[in-house]
Amino acid sequence: MLGIENLRVVYHDVISVLNGISLTLNEKEILIIIGANGAGKTTLLRSVAGMIDFYDGSIVDGDIKMNGASIKGLDATDIMKRFGLTYVIEDRPVFWYLTIEENLGAASFSRWDKQVKADIEGIYSLFPVLEKLRHRKAGYASGGEQQMLAIGMALMTRPKILLLDEPSLGLAPLITEELFSTIEGLNQSGITIVLVEQNAHAALDIGTRGYVMETGRIVLDGSSRELLENEDVREFYLGSGKRERKSYKDAKRYKRRKRWL
Amino acid sequence: MVDFTQALGAGTLVGLVYALLGLSIVIIYRASEAFNFAIGEFLVIGSFLFYIFFFDLRIPLLVALPLGLLAAGLVGALVERFAIKPLLGRSPLSMTIITLGLGFFLRGCVQLIFGSHSYSFFLELPDITQEFGDLLFLSDPIWAGILSLSTFGLILFLLFRTRWGLAIRATSENQAKAMAFGIDARFILLIVWAISSACIAVAGIMISNFGALSSMSSIVGLRAIPVVLIGGMDSIVGALVGGIIVGVCESLAGAYIEPMGLVGFKEVAPYLLLLIVLLIRPYGLFGQIRIERV
Repeated sequence: MLGIENLRVVYHDVISVLNGISLTLNEKEILIIIGANGAGKTTLLRSVAGMIDFYDGSIVDGDIKMNGASIKGLDATDIMKRFGLTYVIEDRPVFWYLTIEENLGAASFSRWDKQVKADIEGIYSLFPVLEKLRHRKAGYASGGEQQMLAIGMALMTRPKILLLDEPSLGLAPLITEELFSTIEGLNQSGITIVLVEQNAHAALDIGTRGYVMETGRIVLDGSSRELLENEDVREFYLGSGKRERKSYKDAKRYKRRKRWL
Repeated sequence: MVDFTQALGAGTLVGLVYALLGLSIVIIYRASEAFNFAIGEFLVIGSFLFYIFFFDLRIPLLVALPLGLLAAGLVGALVERFAIKPLLGRSPLSMTIITLGLGFFLRGCVQLIFGSHSYSFFLELPDITQEFGDLLFLSDPIWAGILSLSTFGLILFLLFRTRWGLAIRATSENQAKAMAFGIDARFILLIVWAISSACIAVAGIMISNFGALSSMSSIVGLRAIPVVLIGGMDSIVGALVGGIIVGVCESLAGAYIEPMGLVGFKEVAPYLLLLIVLLIRPYGLFGQIRIERV
Protein backbone atom coordinates (compact mmCIF):
# COMPACT_ATOMS: atom_id res chain seq x y z
CA MET A 1 0.00 0.00 0.00
CA LEU A 2 2.90 2.35 0.71
CA GLY A 3 5.77 2.61 -1.67
CA ILE A 4 8.92 4.66 -1.33
CA GLU A 5 10.97 5.20 -4.43
CA ASN A 6 14.54 6.35 -4.40
CA LEU A 7 13.91 8.86 -1.62
CA ARG A 8 16.58 11.44 -0.88
CA VAL A 9 16.22 13.77 2.08
CA VAL A 10 18.47 16.65 3.03
CA TYR A 11 18.44 18.64 6.25
CA HIS A 12 19.20 22.37 6.27
CA ASP A 13 19.96 22.09 2.54
CA VAL A 14 23.34 20.48 3.19
CA ILE A 15 23.19 17.41 5.38
CA SER A 16 22.17 14.47 3.26
CA VAL A 17 20.54 11.85 5.45
CA LEU A 18 18.64 9.58 3.11
CA ASN A 19 20.51 8.70 -0.06
CA GLY A 20 18.01 6.90 -2.23
CA ILE A 21 15.77 4.68 -0.16
CA SER A 22 13.27 2.40 -1.78
CA LEU A 23 10.94 0.17 0.10
CA THR A 24 7.44 -1.16 0.05
CA LEU A 25 4.95 -1.74 2.80
CA ASN A 26 2.27 -4.37 2.34
CA GLU A 27 -1.09 -4.29 3.98
CA LYS A 28 -1.45 -5.93 7.40
CA GLU A 29 2.23 -6.66 7.92
CA ILE A 30 4.71 -5.68 10.60
CA LEU A 31 7.64 -4.15 8.80
CA ILE A 32 10.82 -3.87 10.82
CA ILE A 33 13.49 -1.31 10.07
CA ILE A 34 16.75 -1.76 11.92
CA GLY A 35 19.94 0.17 11.71
CA ALA A 36 22.54 1.91 13.82
CA ASN A 37 22.17 5.44 15.17
CA GLY A 38 22.31 7.99 12.40
CA ALA A 39 21.28 5.53 9.73
CA GLY A 40 18.27 7.69 8.87
CA LYS A 41 15.46 5.58 10.29
CA THR A 42 13.72 8.45 12.06
CA THR A 43 14.16 10.69 9.03
CA LEU A 44 12.50 8.04 6.91
CA LEU A 45 9.46 7.97 9.21
CA ARG A 46 9.30 11.77 9.37
CA SER A 47 9.27 11.93 5.58
CA VAL A 48 6.48 9.41 5.29
CA ALA A 49 4.40 11.16 7.96
CA GLY A 50 4.75 14.54 6.23
CA MET A 51 6.66 16.12 9.08
CA ILE A 52 10.04 16.46 7.45
CA ASP A 53 9.68 20.17 6.71
CA PHE A 54 8.93 20.82 10.37
CA TYR A 55 12.43 19.56 11.13
CA ASP A 56 13.89 21.76 8.42
CA GLY A 57 14.48 18.89 6.05
CA SER A 58 13.32 18.53 2.50
CA ILE A 59 12.76 15.75 0.03
CA VAL A 60 15.10 16.49 -2.86
CA ASP A 61 14.48 13.43 -4.95
CA GLY A 62 12.26 10.40 -5.19
CA ASP A 63 8.68 9.89 -4.23
CA ILE A 64 6.43 8.49 -1.54
CA LYS A 65 3.32 6.83 -2.88
CA MET A 66 0.22 5.67 -1.08
CA ASN A 67 -1.78 3.20 -3.14
CA GLY A 68 0.00 4.52 -6.22
CA ALA A 69 -0.65 8.24 -5.62
CA SER A 70 2.11 10.54 -4.48
CA ILE A 71 1.77 11.94 -0.96
CA LYS A 72 4.95 13.96 -1.16
CA GLY A 73 4.45 17.48 0.18
CA LEU A 74 1.18 16.76 1.96
CA ASP A 75 0.70 18.07 5.48
CA ALA A 76 1.00 15.74 8.44
CA THR A 77 -2.64 16.28 9.37
CA ASP A 78 -3.71 15.65 5.76
CA ILE A 79 -1.83 12.39 5.59
CA MET A 80 -3.35 11.30 8.87
CA LYS A 81 -6.88 12.15 7.84
CA ARG A 82 -6.72 10.73 4.34
CA PHE A 83 -4.73 7.57 4.86
CA GLY A 84 -5.07 6.87 8.57
CA LEU A 85 -1.33 7.03 8.98
CA THR A 86 -0.18 7.87 12.50
CA TYR A 87 3.41 8.47 13.45
CA VAL A 88 4.37 7.83 17.07
CA ILE A 89 7.51 9.91 17.40
CA GLU A 90 10.60 8.86 19.26
CA ASP A 91 11.00 8.94 23.02
CA ARG A 92 7.48 8.76 24.46
CA PRO A 93 5.51 11.40 22.61
CA VAL A 94 3.06 12.18 25.40
CA PHE A 95 2.16 15.62 26.66
CA TRP A 96 3.81 15.80 30.06
CA TYR A 97 1.74 18.61 31.48
CA LEU A 98 -1.62 17.16 30.50
CA THR A 99 -3.31 14.40 32.47
CA ILE A 100 -3.48 10.97 30.94
CA GLU A 101 -7.15 11.45 30.10
CA GLU A 102 -6.42 14.83 28.51
CA ASN A 103 -3.64 13.22 26.51
CA LEU A 104 -6.08 10.74 25.05
CA GLY A 105 -8.49 13.59 24.36
CA ALA A 106 -5.84 15.66 22.63
CA ALA A 107 -4.92 12.74 20.41
CA SER A 108 -8.52 12.49 19.22
CA PHE A 109 -8.60 16.15 18.19
CA SER A 110 -8.81 15.30 14.50
CA ARG A 111 -11.98 13.31 15.07
CA TRP A 112 -15.47 14.71 15.29
CA ASP A 113 -17.49 11.53 15.77
CA LYS A 114 -19.35 10.54 18.93
CA GLN A 115 -17.23 7.46 19.57
CA VAL A 116 -14.35 9.25 21.28
CA LYS A 117 -15.57 8.58 24.83
CA ALA A 118 -16.14 4.92 24.09
CA ASP A 119 -12.72 4.66 22.46
CA ILE A 120 -11.06 6.14 25.54
CA GLU A 121 -12.74 3.46 27.63
CA GLY A 122 -11.48 0.94 25.09
CA ILE A 123 -7.92 2.16 25.62
CA TYR A 124 -8.41 1.82 29.38
CA SER A 125 -9.50 -1.78 29.00
CA LEU A 126 -6.48 -2.44 26.80
CA PHE A 127 -4.12 -0.79 29.33
CA PRO A 128 -5.86 -0.99 32.72
CA VAL A 129 -2.98 0.78 34.44
CA LEU A 130 -3.80 3.96 32.54
CA GLU A 131 -7.28 4.07 34.00
CA LYS A 132 -5.91 4.17 37.53
CA LEU A 133 -3.70 7.11 36.59
CA ARG A 134 -6.24 8.91 34.41
CA HIS A 135 -6.13 12.17 36.35
CA ARG A 136 -2.39 12.19 36.89
CA LYS A 137 -0.08 14.32 34.74
CA ALA A 138 1.57 12.11 32.14
CA GLY A 139 4.99 13.53 33.01
CA TYR A 140 4.82 11.74 36.34
CA ALA A 141 4.01 8.35 34.84
CA SER A 142 6.75 5.77 34.46
CA GLY A 143 8.48 5.09 31.16
CA GLY A 144 6.43 1.99 30.45
CA GLU A 145 3.18 3.73 31.30
CA GLN A 146 4.12 6.64 29.06
CA GLN A 147 4.83 4.31 26.18
CA MET A 148 1.49 2.56 26.69
CA LEU A 149 -0.16 5.95 26.75
CA ALA A 150 1.63 6.89 23.53
CA ILE A 151 0.27 3.79 21.83
CA GLY A 152 -3.14 4.45 23.31
CA MET A 153 -3.01 7.97 21.92
CA ALA A 154 -2.01 6.66 18.52
CA LEU A 155 -5.01 4.30 18.63
CA MET A 156 -7.28 7.25 19.40
CA THR A 157 -6.54 8.53 15.91
CA ARG A 158 -7.98 5.25 14.54
CA PRO A 159 -4.93 4.43 12.48
CA LYS A 160 -4.72 2.05 9.58
CA ILE A 161 -0.95 2.39 9.45
CA LEU A 162 1.10 2.94 12.58
CA LEU A 163 4.69 4.14 12.41
CA LEU A 164 6.45 3.38 15.67
CA ASP A 165 9.81 4.98 16.28
CA GLU A 166 11.82 2.98 18.81
CA PRO A 167 9.05 2.34 21.28
CA SER A 168 11.34 0.21 23.44
CA LEU A 169 13.73 3.10 24.07
CA GLY A 170 14.70 3.11 27.72
CA LEU A 171 12.30 0.38 28.78
CA ALA A 172 13.15 -2.66 30.87
CA PRO A 173 13.32 -5.93 28.88
CA LEU A 174 10.20 -7.29 30.55
CA ILE A 175 8.17 -4.17 29.71
CA THR A 176 9.55 -4.26 26.17
CA GLU A 177 8.34 -7.81 25.78
CA GLU A 178 4.88 -6.81 26.97
CA LEU A 179 4.89 -3.83 24.63
CA PHE A 180 5.86 -5.93 21.64
CA SER A 181 3.13 -8.43 22.30
CA THR A 182 0.70 -5.51 22.43
CA ILE A 183 2.02 -4.36 19.07
CA GLU A 184 1.53 -7.85 17.71
CA GLY A 185 -2.04 -7.76 19.00
CA LEU A 186 -2.69 -4.45 17.26
CA ASN A 187 -1.40 -5.94 14.05
CA GLN A 188 -3.75 -8.90 14.39
CA SER A 189 -6.63 -6.47 14.76
CA GLY A 190 -5.79 -5.23 11.29
CA ILE A 191 -3.36 -2.35 11.70
CA THR A 192 -0.34 -2.26 9.43
CA ILE A 193 2.77 -1.50 11.45
CA VAL A 194 6.17 -0.08 10.64
CA LEU A 195 8.46 -0.63 13.58
CA VAL A 196 11.82 1.10 13.76
CA GLU A 197 13.99 -0.52 16.37
CA GLN A 198 17.47 -0.83 17.80
CA ASN A 199 16.30 -3.85 19.70
CA ALA A 200 16.66 -5.96 16.60
CA HIS A 201 16.09 -9.38 18.09
CA ALA A 202 12.79 -8.63 19.77
CA ALA A 203 11.58 -6.67 16.77
CA LEU A 204 12.43 -9.30 14.18
CA ASP A 205 10.72 -11.89 16.35
CA ILE A 206 7.33 -10.26 15.83
CA GLY A 207 8.00 -8.83 12.37
CA THR A 208 6.89 -10.08 8.98
CA ARG A 209 9.63 -8.52 6.89
CA GLY A 210 12.56 -6.28 7.61
CA TYR A 211 14.97 -3.80 6.11
CA VAL A 212 18.45 -3.00 7.37
CA MET A 213 19.51 0.62 6.95
CA GLU A 214 22.96 2.05 7.05
CA THR A 215 24.04 5.64 6.40
CA GLY A 216 20.92 6.54 4.51
CA ARG A 217 20.67 3.43 2.37
CA ILE A 218 18.96 0.13 2.56
CA VAL A 219 21.63 -2.52 2.60
CA LEU A 220 19.61 -5.64 3.19
CA ASP A 221 16.05 -6.79 3.14
CA GLY A 222 14.13 -9.98 3.54
CA SER A 223 11.69 -11.81 5.70
CA SER A 224 12.27 -11.61 9.42
CA ARG A 225 13.42 -15.19 9.50
CA GLU A 226 15.98 -14.57 6.78
CA LEU A 227 17.31 -11.53 8.56
CA LEU A 228 17.49 -13.32 11.89
CA GLU A 229 19.59 -15.99 10.26
CA ASN A 230 21.72 -13.67 8.18
CA GLU A 231 25.29 -13.80 9.40
CA ASP A 232 25.98 -10.08 9.01
CA VAL A 233 22.82 -9.08 10.80
CA ARG A 234 23.63 -11.50 13.57
CA GLU A 235 27.04 -10.04 13.97
CA PHE A 236 26.24 -6.34 13.78
CA TYR A 237 22.76 -6.10 15.24
CA LEU A 238 22.15 -9.20 17.27
CA GLY A 239 25.61 -9.40 18.77
CA SER A 240 25.77 -13.14 18.33
CA GLY A 241 28.27 -13.66 15.55
CA LYS A 242 31.54 -15.47 15.88
CA ARG A 243 32.54 -15.56 19.50
CA GLU A 244 36.28 -15.00 19.24
CA ARG A 245 37.53 -11.84 20.97
CA LYS A 246 38.97 -9.15 18.80
CA SER A 247 40.91 -6.04 19.60
CA TYR A 248 39.08 -2.76 19.02
CA LYS A 249 41.29 -1.96 16.05
CA ASP A 250 40.60 -5.29 14.43
CA ALA A 251 36.91 -4.94 14.96
CA LYS A 252 36.90 -1.51 13.38
CA ARG A 253 38.80 -2.58 10.32
CA TYR A 254 36.66 -5.64 10.02
CA LYS A 255 33.50 -3.63 10.28
CA ARG A 256 34.68 -1.19 7.66
CA ARG A 257 35.37 -4.05 5.31
CA LYS A 258 32.00 -5.53 6.06
CA ARG A 259 30.02 -2.37 5.36
CA TRP A 260 27.62 -2.79 2.51
CA LEU A 261 28.56 0.39 0.76
CA MET B 1 -7.06 53.54 56.59
CA VAL B 2 -9.67 54.91 54.23
CA ASP B 3 -6.92 56.06 51.90
CA PHE B 4 -5.33 52.66 52.01
CA THR B 5 -8.55 50.77 51.25
CA GLN B 6 -9.34 53.22 48.48
CA ALA B 7 -5.92 52.73 46.89
CA LEU B 8 -6.17 48.98 47.32
CA GLY B 9 -9.57 48.81 45.64
CA ALA B 10 -8.68 51.13 42.79
CA GLY B 11 -5.40 49.31 42.27
CA THR B 12 -7.13 45.95 42.11
CA LEU B 13 -9.55 47.18 39.45
CA VAL B 14 -6.76 48.50 37.25
CA GLY B 15 -4.77 45.40 38.11
CA LEU B 16 -7.43 43.21 36.53
CA VAL B 17 -6.85 45.01 33.24
CA TYR B 18 -3.11 44.44 33.61
CA ALA B 19 -3.83 40.81 34.37
CA LEU B 20 -5.56 40.51 31.01
CA LEU B 21 -2.50 42.01 29.32
CA GLY B 22 -0.37 39.53 31.23
CA LEU B 23 -2.59 36.65 30.12
CA SER B 24 -2.20 37.58 26.48
CA ILE B 25 1.57 37.51 26.90
CA VAL B 26 1.45 34.20 28.77
CA ILE B 27 -0.60 32.30 26.19
CA ILE B 28 1.75 33.36 23.40
CA TYR B 29 4.77 32.56 25.52
CA ARG B 30 3.42 29.12 26.26
CA ALA B 31 2.56 28.41 22.66
CA SER B 32 5.73 29.66 20.99
CA GLU B 33 8.10 30.53 23.85
CA ALA B 34 8.38 34.02 22.46
CA PHE B 35 7.69 37.25 24.29
CA ASN B 36 5.43 39.56 22.36
CA PHE B 37 7.06 42.97 22.66
CA ALA B 38 4.61 44.41 20.15
CA ILE B 39 1.89 44.24 22.82
CA GLY B 40 1.68 48.02 23.10
CA GLU B 41 1.02 48.35 19.39
CA PHE B 42 -1.52 45.54 19.45
CA LEU B 43 -3.23 47.48 22.22
CA VAL B 44 -3.38 50.68 20.20
CA ILE B 45 -4.47 48.94 17.02
CA GLY B 46 -7.18 47.00 18.83
CA SER B 47 -8.48 50.17 20.42
CA PHE B 48 -8.44 52.05 17.12
CA LEU B 49 -10.30 49.25 15.34
CA PHE B 50 -12.99 49.45 17.99
CA TYR B 51 -12.89 53.24 17.70
CA ILE B 52 -13.65 52.99 14.00
CA PHE B 53 -16.63 50.70 14.52
CA PHE B 54 -18.06 52.51 17.53
CA PHE B 55 -17.24 56.20 17.11
CA ASP B 56 -16.78 56.57 13.35
CA LEU B 57 -19.40 54.17 12.04
CA ARG B 58 -21.66 54.65 15.10
CA ILE B 59 -22.49 50.98 15.39
CA PRO B 60 -24.13 50.20 18.75
CA LEU B 61 -21.74 49.13 21.47
CA LEU B 62 -22.96 45.54 21.78
CA VAL B 63 -22.24 44.97 18.08
CA ALA B 64 -19.18 47.20 17.79
CA LEU B 65 -17.35 45.51 20.64
CA PRO B 66 -17.44 41.98 19.16
CA LEU B 67 -16.69 43.41 15.71
CA GLY B 68 -13.73 45.35 17.06
CA LEU B 69 -12.40 42.31 18.89
CA LEU B 70 -12.88 40.15 15.83
CA ALA B 71 -10.95 42.66 13.75
CA ALA B 72 -8.23 42.78 16.39
CA GLY B 73 -8.06 39.01 16.33
CA LEU B 74 -7.75 39.12 12.57
CA VAL B 75 -4.83 41.52 12.85
CA GLY B 76 -3.19 39.14 15.33
CA ALA B 77 -3.72 36.26 12.92
CA LEU B 78 -2.29 38.23 9.99
CA VAL B 79 0.76 39.19 12.01
CA GLU B 80 1.28 35.57 12.96
CA ARG B 81 0.97 34.42 9.37
CA PHE B 82 3.41 36.94 7.93
CA ALA B 83 5.89 37.55 10.71
CA ILE B 84 5.86 34.57 13.05
CA LYS B 85 4.98 31.52 10.98
CA PRO B 86 8.03 31.72 8.72
CA LEU B 87 10.12 31.37 11.86
CA LEU B 88 8.40 28.23 13.09
CA GLY B 89 10.92 25.71 14.33
CA ARG B 90 13.60 28.36 14.78
CA SER B 91 14.77 29.68 18.11
CA PRO B 92 12.11 31.49 20.16
CA LEU B 93 14.60 34.29 20.57
CA SER B 94 14.36 35.20 16.90
CA MET B 95 10.58 35.39 17.24
CA THR B 96 10.96 37.68 20.22
CA ILE B 97 13.28 39.96 18.27
CA ILE B 98 10.83 39.94 15.38
CA THR B 99 8.07 41.17 17.70
CA LEU B 100 10.33 44.07 18.72
CA GLY B 101 10.79 45.12 15.13
CA LEU B 102 7.16 44.44 14.42
CA GLY B 103 6.27 46.85 17.22
CA PHE B 104 8.12 49.68 15.52
CA PHE B 105 6.60 48.83 12.18
CA LEU B 106 3.05 48.75 13.55
CA ARG B 107 3.60 51.98 15.47
CA GLY B 108 4.65 53.61 12.22
CA CYS B 109 1.54 52.27 10.50
CA VAL B 110 -0.72 53.60 13.25
CA GLN B 111 0.86 57.05 13.14
CA LEU B 112 0.61 57.08 9.38
CA ILE B 113 -3.09 56.25 9.42
CA PHE B 114 -4.34 57.93 12.57
CA GLY B 115 -1.72 60.61 13.18
CA SER B 116 -0.21 61.12 16.58
CA HIS B 117 -2.85 63.32 18.17
CA SER B 118 -5.27 62.11 20.83
CA TYR B 119 -8.75 60.91 20.08
CA SER B 120 -11.37 61.41 22.76
CA PHE B 121 -12.68 58.07 23.82
CA PHE B 122 -15.72 57.75 26.01
CA LEU B 123 -17.96 54.74 26.22
CA GLU B 124 -21.31 55.64 27.66
CA LEU B 125 -21.58 52.67 29.93
CA PRO B 126 -24.29 52.73 32.62
CA ASP B 127 -23.08 54.53 35.71
CA ILE B 128 -22.24 52.01 38.42
CA THR B 129 -20.19 54.29 40.65
CA GLN B 130 -20.01 52.79 44.13
CA GLU B 131 -19.81 54.73 47.35
CA PHE B 132 -19.20 53.09 50.71
CA GLY B 133 -18.92 55.79 53.38
CA ASP B 134 -15.74 57.63 52.49
CA LEU B 135 -14.77 55.19 49.77
CA LEU B 136 -15.53 56.05 46.17
CA PHE B 137 -15.03 53.80 43.20
CA LEU B 138 -15.73 55.38 39.85
CA SER B 139 -17.84 53.69 37.25
CA ASP B 140 -15.19 53.35 34.53
CA PRO B 141 -12.62 51.42 36.56
CA ILE B 142 -15.35 49.12 37.86
CA TRP B 143 -16.48 48.39 34.31
CA ALA B 144 -12.87 47.84 33.32
CA GLY B 145 -12.41 45.38 36.17
CA ILE B 146 -15.61 43.50 35.38
CA LEU B 147 -14.97 43.25 31.66
CA SER B 148 -11.35 42.25 32.08
CA LEU B 149 -12.18 39.63 34.65
CA SER B 150 -14.94 38.15 32.51
CA THR B 151 -12.66 38.06 29.48
CA PHE B 152 -10.06 36.36 31.64
CA GLY B 153 -12.66 33.82 32.75
CA LEU B 154 -13.77 33.25 29.17
CA ILE B 155 -10.22 32.48 28.10
CA LEU B 156 -9.78 30.11 31.02
CA PHE B 157 -12.98 28.34 30.04
CA LEU B 158 -11.77 28.09 26.45
CA LEU B 159 -8.39 26.70 27.49
CA PHE B 160 -9.52 24.20 30.09
CA ARG B 161 -13.01 23.13 29.11
CA THR B 162 -13.08 22.91 25.31
CA ARG B 163 -11.43 20.63 22.79
CA TRP B 164 -9.77 23.59 21.11
CA GLY B 165 -8.32 24.60 24.45
CA LEU B 166 -6.96 21.10 24.90
CA ALA B 167 -5.38 21.29 21.46
CA ILE B 168 -3.88 24.68 22.35
CA ARG B 169 -2.42 23.34 25.57
CA ALA B 170 -1.06 20.27 23.79
CA THR B 171 0.50 22.37 21.03
CA SER B 172 1.93 24.76 23.61
CA GLU B 173 3.78 21.91 25.18
CA ASN B 174 5.28 20.42 22.05
CA GLN B 175 4.46 21.24 18.45
CA ALA B 176 6.00 18.11 16.97
CA LYS B 177 4.06 15.81 19.27
CA ALA B 178 0.85 17.70 18.57
CA MET B 179 1.35 17.42 14.82
CA ALA B 180 2.05 13.72 15.11
CA PHE B 181 -1.34 13.25 16.74
CA GLY B 182 -3.24 15.12 14.08
CA ILE B 183 -3.39 18.57 15.64
CA ASP B 184 -2.60 21.23 13.07
CA ALA B 185 0.01 23.03 15.18
CA ARG B 186 0.38 25.89 12.72
CA PHE B 187 -3.29 26.66 12.74
CA ILE B 188 -3.36 26.46 16.53
CA LEU B 189 -0.57 29.03 16.72
CA LEU B 190 -2.59 31.29 14.47
CA ILE B 191 -5.55 30.95 16.80
CA VAL B 192 -3.42 31.66 19.86
CA TRP B 193 -2.17 34.89 18.33
CA ALA B 194 -5.69 35.89 17.37
CA ILE B 195 -7.01 35.23 20.88
CA SER B 196 -4.10 37.05 22.43
CA SER B 197 -4.62 40.01 20.15
CA ALA B 198 -8.33 40.16 20.98
CA CYS B 199 -7.54 40.06 24.73
CA ILE B 200 -5.10 42.91 24.34
CA ALA B 201 -7.78 44.84 22.50
CA VAL B 202 -10.22 44.41 25.40
CA ALA B 203 -7.60 45.75 27.78
CA GLY B 204 -6.79 48.54 25.35
CA ILE B 205 -10.40 49.65 25.05
CA MET B 206 -10.75 49.70 28.84
CA ILE B 207 -7.56 51.69 29.27
CA SER B 208 -8.48 54.16 26.53
CA ASN B 209 -11.80 54.63 28.26
CA PHE B 210 -9.96 56.02 31.32
CA GLY B 211 -8.72 58.93 29.23
CA ALA B 212 -8.04 59.27 25.56
CA LEU B 213 -6.60 57.16 22.79
CA SER B 214 -3.47 58.04 20.86
CA SER B 215 -0.58 56.19 19.30
CA MET B 216 1.30 56.86 22.54
CA SER B 217 -1.12 54.67 24.51
CA SER B 218 1.19 51.82 23.57
CA ILE B 219 3.32 52.62 26.62
CA VAL B 220 0.65 51.01 28.81
CA GLY B 221 1.21 47.72 27.05
CA LEU B 222 4.66 47.51 28.53
CA ARG B 223 3.04 47.27 31.95
CA ALA B 224 2.59 43.62 31.00
CA ILE B 225 6.31 43.04 31.48
CA PRO B 226 6.35 43.38 35.29
CA VAL B 227 3.02 41.54 35.40
CA VAL B 228 4.26 38.37 33.74
CA LEU B 229 7.71 38.49 35.27
CA ILE B 230 6.31 38.82 38.76
CA GLY B 231 3.66 36.17 38.17
CA GLY B 232 5.82 33.80 36.17
CA MET B 233 6.11 33.80 32.39
CA ASP B 234 4.20 30.58 31.88
CA SER B 235 1.58 30.82 34.58
CA ILE B 236 -2.01 31.87 33.98
CA VAL B 237 -2.70 32.24 37.70
CA GLY B 238 0.53 34.18 37.85
CA ALA B 239 -0.80 36.63 35.27
CA LEU B 240 -3.88 37.28 37.40
CA VAL B 241 -1.98 37.66 40.66
CA GLY B 242 0.84 39.58 38.99
CA GLY B 243 -1.64 41.95 37.39
CA ILE B 244 -3.32 42.72 40.69
CA ILE B 245 0.03 43.11 42.45
CA VAL B 246 1.23 45.56 39.82
CA GLY B 247 -2.05 47.50 39.92
CA VAL B 248 -2.06 47.73 43.70
CA CYS B 249 1.62 48.57 43.86
CA GLU B 250 1.13 51.37 41.37
CA SER B 251 -1.86 52.73 43.19
CA LEU B 252 -0.22 52.57 46.63
CA ALA B 253 2.87 54.30 45.28
CA GLY B 254 0.60 56.96 43.82
CA ALA B 255 -1.21 57.46 47.12
CA TYR B 256 1.70 57.35 49.57
CA ILE B 257 5.03 57.91 47.90
CA GLU B 258 4.27 60.44 45.17
CA PRO B 259 2.90 63.02 47.66
CA MET B 260 6.33 62.94 49.32
CA GLY B 261 7.66 64.72 46.27
CA LEU B 262 8.67 61.74 44.16
CA VAL B 263 6.52 62.58 41.16
CA GLY B 264 6.36 59.76 38.64
CA PHE B 265 7.32 57.10 41.16
CA LYS B 266 4.04 55.39 40.35
CA GLU B 267 5.48 54.32 36.99
CA VAL B 268 8.66 52.97 38.50
CA ALA B 269 7.25 51.17 41.53
CA PRO B 270 6.18 47.97 39.70
CA TYR B 271 9.66 47.56 38.24
CA LEU B 272 11.21 48.02 41.66
CA LEU B 273 8.91 45.36 43.03
CA LEU B 274 9.79 43.20 40.05
CA LEU B 275 13.47 43.39 40.95
CA ILE B 276 12.76 42.26 44.49
CA VAL B 277 10.54 39.37 43.38
CA LEU B 278 13.06 38.18 40.82
CA LEU B 279 15.83 38.21 43.42
CA ILE B 280 13.80 35.89 45.61
CA ARG B 281 12.04 33.81 42.97
CA PRO B 282 13.80 33.96 39.60
CA TYR B 283 10.95 32.17 37.79
CA GLY B 284 8.33 34.52 39.20
CA LEU B 285 5.84 33.73 41.90
CA PHE B 286 3.98 31.04 39.98
CA GLY B 287 6.51 30.03 37.36
CA GLN B 288 5.95 26.40 36.53
CA ILE B 289 8.24 23.85 38.06
CA ARG B 290 9.40 21.86 35.07
CA ILE B 291 8.80 18.14 35.15
CA GLU B 292 12.23 16.82 34.42
CA ARG B 293 13.19 13.20 34.20
CA VAL B 294 16.62 11.97 33.49
